[in-house]
Amino acid sequence: MSEEKQQVSRRQFLNYTLTGVGGFMAAGLLAPMLRMAIDPVLQPPSEGEFVNVGLAVEDITTTPQRVDWKIKQVDGWYESEPGRTAWVYKDDNGDIIALSPICTHLGCVVSWEGSEDHPNQFFCPCHDGRYTKDGVNVKGTPPLAPLPTFEQKVENGMLYLGKAIPRKGA
Amino acid sequence: MQWTKKDMELYLGSKEYFDTAIIPIIPFQLSQEANIGKSTSKREVLSVFVTEIERELSGRLLLIPNYYYLEFGDKDEEAKRLNNWTEEISKQPFKHVFILTFDAGWKRHEKDLDANLLWLPGFQTDQLNSTEILQMIRGQVADVVELIRSYW
Repeated sequence: MSEEKQQVSRRQFLNYTLTGVGGFMAAGLLAPMLRMAIDPVLQPPSEGEFVNVGLAVEDITTTPQRVDWKIKQVDGWYESEPGRTAWVYKDDNGDIIALSPICTHLGCVVSWEGSEDHPNQFFCPCHDGRYTKDGVNVKGTPPLAPLPTFEQKVENGMLYLGKAIPRKGA
Repeated sequence: MQWTKKDMELYLGSKEYFDTAIIPIIPFQLSQEANIGKSTSKREVLSVFVTEIERELSGRLLLIPNYYYLEFGDKDEEAKRLNNWTEEISKQPFKHVFILTFDAGWKRHEKDLDANLLWLPGFQTDQLNSTEILQMIRGQVADVVELIRSYW
């Protein structure tokens, strides 16, 4: 009987129980904290990848028109609604083209036929950068890359735009 | 460009392309409680305003941090301080320095300022984020951008 007692001494027993209980308590404290810290990672990716920009496909012409819309941006805990802009038109094949208006030089907003001297081109007011209708930069002007194009899809006759994809320099 | 680390690195890398700066000046007061709404909207609307202007012309225009002053304070004193700001900016060199305000009180002190004063009539709104208001601001921004470009 005394041998059996020796197998787990009082000291060991107390050690085990205390470590066990302590471990549970620590885990109970840390788990919610950890959950909280990595919460944004666990959130399902937002559906907001594509946004309805409020333009019906039938209203898109071969002349670029400016559309402004807002996206919901969640950066960790910080939510904001930054504005986005695109120039949208149909090319000769009837495909929809959506170009980012952000000049690839220093980031001003370009406009279609923004200069009377250069019809049928996108014009950057800051340093006279120019792009042809398909968004390719005109050689000899400051920009070194074409305008980015937006990811797009059409649903129920409405245009949805996603991310702007940069293009390689010409 | 805005006065942030990221933007200023870009600015320092291509300084030769920047020749225009804009200083938003914003009044502050607590003494006239009846007019608090009017005063706060000057700050809120102007912030949206200058952010939009900066977005349009970010490659050539530097947005200076907001300048605050007491709404019913001594404008002669403030004009002197503002001229110090203008001097600091001009020697970089910036060819065009604009001061943007919704406070009509500055119109009378325009001649004391070294920078170009752009006074715009402000407005009060509870729905700064509504589409109509943003549409309106965008329209006004386009006009101001046109004005700034006429100096280039």
